[in-house]
Amino acid sequence: MNCSFSSSLSNAKPFLSHGAKSHKPQRKPVFIAFSRSRVSEQENQSPNLYKVLSLNSNQASVEEIKKAYRTMARQYHPDVCDPSKKEESTRMFVRLHAAYKTLSDPVLREEYDCRLSSRNSQGAIRPRPDFAYQCSRNRWQEQIHELKRRSNCRMNMTQKEASWGSRMRAKNDSQTKDS
Amino acid sequence: MAEPAYTVASDSETTGEEKSSPAFPEIAIGIDIGTSQCSVAIWNGSQVELLKNTRNQKLMRSYVTFKDEVPSGGVSNQLSHEHEMLTGAAIFNMKRLIGRVDTDPVVHASKSLPFLVQTLDIGVRPFIAALVNNVWRSTTPEEVLAIFLVELRVMAEVQLKRPIRNVVLSIPVSFSRFQLTRIERACAMAGLHVLRLMPEPTAVALLYAQQQQQMVHDNMGSGSEKIALIFNMGAGYCDVAVTVTGGGVSQIKSLAGSAIGGEDLLQNMMRHLLPNWEKLFSSRGINEINSMGLLRVATQDAIHKLSSQDTVQIDVDLGNGSRICKVVNRQEFEEVNNKIFEKCGSLIIQCLNDAKVEADDLTDVIVVGGCSYIPKIRNLVKSICKRELYKGMNPLEAAVCGAALEGAVASGISDPFGSLDLLTIQATPLGIGIQANGNRFVPIVPRNTTMPARKELIFTTVNDNQTDVLIIVYEGDAEKAEENHLLGYFKIMGIPPAPKGVPEIKVCMDIDASNVLRVLAGVMLPGSQQPVVPIMEVRMPTVDDGHGWCAEALHRTYGATLDLVTVQQKI
Repeated sequence: MNCSFSSSLSNAKPFLSHGAKSHKPQRKPVFIAFSRSRVSEQENQSPNLYKVLSLNSNQASVEEIKKAYRTMARQYHPDVCDPSKKEESTRMFVRLHAAYKTLSDPVLREEYDCRLSSRNSQGAIRPRPDFAYQCSRNRWQEQIHELKRRSNCRMNMTQKEASWGSRMRAKNDSQTKDS
Repeated sequence: MAEPAYTVASDSETTGEEKSSPAFPEIAIGIDIGTSQCSVAIWNGSQVELLKNTRNQKLMRSYVTFKDEVPSGGVSNQLSHEHEMLTGAAIFNMKRLIGRVDTDPVVHASKSLPFLVQTLDIGVRPFIAALVNNVWRSTTPEEVLAIFLVELRVMAEVQLKRPIRNVVLSIPVSFSRFQLTRIERACAMAGLHVLRLMPEPTAVALLYAQQQQQMVHDNMGSGSEKIALIFNMGAGYCDVAVTVTGGGVSQIKSLAGSAIGGEDLLQNMMRHLLPNWEKLFSSRGINEINSMGLLRVATQDAIHKLSSQDTVQIDVDLGNGSRICKVVNRQEFEEVNNKIFEKCGSLIIQCLNDAKVEADDLTDVIVVGGCSYIPKIRNLVKSICKRELYKGMNPLEAAVCGAALEGAVASGISDPFGSLDLLTIQATPLGIGIQANGNRFVPIVPRNTTMPARKELIFTTVNDNQTDVLIIVYEGDAEKAEENHLLGYFKIMGIPPAPKGVPEIKVCMDIDASNVLRVLAGVMLPGSQQPVVPIMEVRMPTVDDGHGWCAEALHRTYGATLDLVTVQQKI
């Protein structure tokens, strides 16, 4: 993650920290995180892009997303906010725009929705949300799982019609298990 | 607490920051300084109103005459005749000269103006001077603009019966950040504080957003999102913008612009009428200037007439024994300026592509600016955009009205009827990045990025044990770094010795809503959580006059010893 650099920036000058990056645990070297910054950064900053836009439903239509963006922009754009809250509103608007940019693009939105649902299926929201990494890990585990399942299927069939080799392997297997 | 009415702005530092809100916010006025004409407008509490000078003019010529002790501009001065502007004593077309160096082709084109524009072609500011009693009196574009702005300011103060300090100025899309600092300098010289510098078509876009919002209020229009293309061409510049508008919010999707305009049409036409005119007038005696002025007025007049008629008779005695007597038709005019019109077309297409918008998606097509009266321009825009042109705007007043609206919104004024429930979400007209990978330009903030914005990129060293790196910041879209506008440079020092490619140099660019650019750079080593040297924070641009040399000098002195490369993206 780019956290350490950004958080030190934000210590020096508060407006530079767009989002609470400093709270994120840091496990990955800077390099990898940076190469994915376009996606992962946005997720660092907010738990849910739909919530950033004040949308209740992940099923919101494109029109609703656009409308929400405009309504929120009218509240948080630094031009319409009190000058004393400029830093805060700038940070808020940058976050808002990042959310809008992802959700208004059909491809990016689908990707995001996929990551969002995989996160939800795992239950609690993890504090270390490198989803690209998580996503590929999930996919890999699913594939392993699937391979095992198929292989098991074949095992069950071995008794009847499998090759000699696989029958022998199955036999060996069961022998090792028994012993 | 009384605030001083007139303050001198500091050279480069943070005068651009808004003050903490006063009890009664002062409404910023909108100013449109055109290459040829200028105007002032203000939100009067219920609508935008254009201010008039003592001669009841809303649009005033942009020029300053150095005839007498005190120079006078087109706001207060009354020209007895157009020719008076062309005696060598008046300086005009300042917008084409400000912030440019003497190697710039636009400066070279300005050498045919009837005052002195001297170039040495070494990358410094051009020398400009006005002829006063047979003496070339030197001045600068900033000074001329400031004299003019003071006149506008006095005019507004007299009418509004209050001091004026805050302004929103409309500017061409293609202006570099260095040019913007020159505009700010001119305003500071005139005692004005720039609240916003607004690209002209985005000012028009804001006016359009207000009109659409008004129609929704009046139940005449649908509240749905509208996509508009705005084409603005004046005497000096051509600008295009694509905006998406809904609910009073104008979101700028893309911008494109170039320093082409009516002045180029005029010069091409003069060349057509008198092929070797530049040579004839190069000595710039009083007689030559006089002839040049006569030809200029006659040509300008002919071009204006060709907007409404097919042919025009030109008959002008240049006073030096030569006389031009010729009939010119519209087709000739269009052929002579074919390249300019092609460029206009390419700007529109670029803008549509950048916005990822098809011509069929456009709701409205708005053409404004002095050149919007030229039939060829109108037809060109119509044919590319496959639409009839929007009719709800005065082409000469739209930009200043938009600037005045922005002035009211940015000053925190609200309107009980919701007429000021408006917002412009701006985009960067040019990419900003640094020199890396040899002499390549690596954009960190790409063109058409929504503002405010914050972007960063990681670079690394090219030499083993490289302790210093040079960050050279450019603005533009050209692939080669030196073909872009230099904004500034600084060095990061004290990088711990490490093999090349190991230290991570993070460069971050931060643009706030008032378009202030800050460049931050820090060094990290893999595994460390903290930057190894203090982070550099630089407000850009930092370059001053003579900046044309800097990059070259840096390269000569340091070669590749302080270079950077981008870190390969690992997916």
